[in-house]
Amino acid sequence: MTDAATRTIRDRTAIAGVGVSRFSLRAESSPMELAVQAFKAALADAGLDRDAVDGVAINIGWPLGVDYDRFAEVVGLRLRFADQTWTHGRFVGPSLQHAAMAVASGLATCVACVCAVSFTQQRGLLGGPGDFEGTREEGGTHEENPVYGLTAPAAGAALSFRRYMALYGATSAQLAAVPITFRRHALLNPQALMQKPLTLEAHQRSRWIVEPLHLYDCCVVSDGAACVLVTTAERARDGARPPVLLAGMQGMRAGRDEFLFGLPGLGIGKQRRFRYTPTDDELLVYRMAGVTRQDVDGLYTYDAFSPLVLFVLERFGFCGLGEAAAWVQDGRIGLGGALPMNTSGGLLSEAHVSGWNSIVEIVRQLRGECGTRQVEGARVMQWATAWGDSLVFRR
Amino acid sequence: MSGYGKPLPRITPDNQDFWEAVRRHELRLQRCQECGRFRYPPSPVCPDCLSERFAWTQVTGRGTVTTWVVVHKPYFPSFADEIPYHVVQVELEEGPRLTANLVDVPNEKIRVGLPVEVVFDDVTPEVTLPRFRRAR
Repeated sequence: MTDAATRTIRDRTAIAGVGVSRFSLRAESSPMELAVQAFKAALADAGLDRDAVDGVAINIGWPLGVDYDRFAEVVGLRLRFADQTWTHGRFVGPSLQHAAMAVASGLATCVACVCAVSFTQQRGLLGGPGDFEGTREEGGTHEENPVYGLTAPAAGAALSFRRYMALYGATSAQLAAVPITFRRHALLNPQALMQKPLTLEAHQRSRWIVEPLHLYDCCVVSDGAACVLVTTAERARDGARPPVLLAGMQGMRAGRDEFLFGLPGLGIGKQRRFRYTPTDDELLVYRMAGVTRQDVDGLYTYDAFSPLVLFVLERFGFCGLGEAAAWVQDGRIGLGGALPMNTSGGLLSEAHVSGWNSIVEIVRQLRGECGTRQVEGARVMQWATAWGDSLVFRR
Repeated sequence: MSGYGKPLPRITPDNQDFWEAVRRHELRLQRCQECGRFRYPPSPVCPDCLSERFAWTQVTGRGTVTTWVVVHKPYFPSFADEIPYHVVQVELEEGPRLTANLVDVPNEKIRVGLPVEVVFDDVTPEVTLPRFRRAR
């Protein structure tokens, strides 16, 4: 309980405000216009002046989103801290962690995490001829291999789920519980893009994208932006809104045992085959936050493809290896269930703001602002991904 | 100029010996000369012992399918005519896995654990791709 990390950063930083742009299924605005909308909404939410912001952390750069330099110029910021990750949704957690570390270490006093994404204007970049990631030495990070016709992130999730089905007997109909549950959440969220109920029949009848993934196992292709303002816990307490503390965190995993879209041990690509169980190190985030898994009132994850939701549950030990497909049935991950997940509808049904829409939802839940989809008495919520990064938030 | 319009491997200093061997219809992987382990994809050092000493060693070309998918969405125009087509991962007897296609197995007959062996497909006068067929 006395890790260096625990002593240094627990509860030192907080989210003072959040904002989103309008979400859309069509290209209506430039990524910059969306970013500005979200930024101004977050400032208004926090009751902060633009000049309070001296740092920026960008997750999705040009051409899908905006780069740190242009953003700073456009909204008139004078930055003393700038951070920009590789253009991938996997960096939501790391990007937020960079912001918190910058604030905790005094490199900045308030960092705006800004993510604008215009997927509708850049369709060719995702799995199409313009997607050059698969040509990397050797292969893309979702196991893309264009030479053999494997060209899209969806295929990576499909490779994992096919093997998972073979190992554990999981079925597509079981997997459907994930998008169906998140669609129910979206119906309670006026800003969610998907507003029609989803049935098991509709899921099973929907076209294949990359088999075994159906259309409804794949996220919304949308445009939108979100902004999250990170500052010191002390400053946040003086803000317009109740602060949401960043209580604990752990970094993204990488190495030969890791495949982004599958648990260690699954045996995809370079992974060895073994039975994964989470170690103490895999669960550092709880220790740092001073909470246990049982304290988590809501779990939020990067749900670009529905199998990722199963994998995160097993990665963090909410259920055992191979059990998640059965575990998510009967409303367990829905509002009112044992572990509500992605209560805004997530990437599958609200919008694909790279996952930042779920960070915004966590903040609104912990501030008690979610109306009919409010998790009663929410005090501790967690962001976690299938690739092992996580943050625990508390009010 | 051939009519093969699909993406071709990008040849790099690390992988050119692999592709040259494949062009001769030989499947060769790097084998560490310190610890004896095979590795793929190609890399300058052994990820286990960091040794730079390796030899391009012929492998049996036999393995099993560890996972597969069927692509239905036409992400790449050059593959559109083949939809729905499958892509497999094959774990070789020596350990490493290759992504490829099967040449003689319909989509509905593919399964995890299917024994396969390598075949060589000369897709252009300069480029050959390893693919796999049901083990004989």
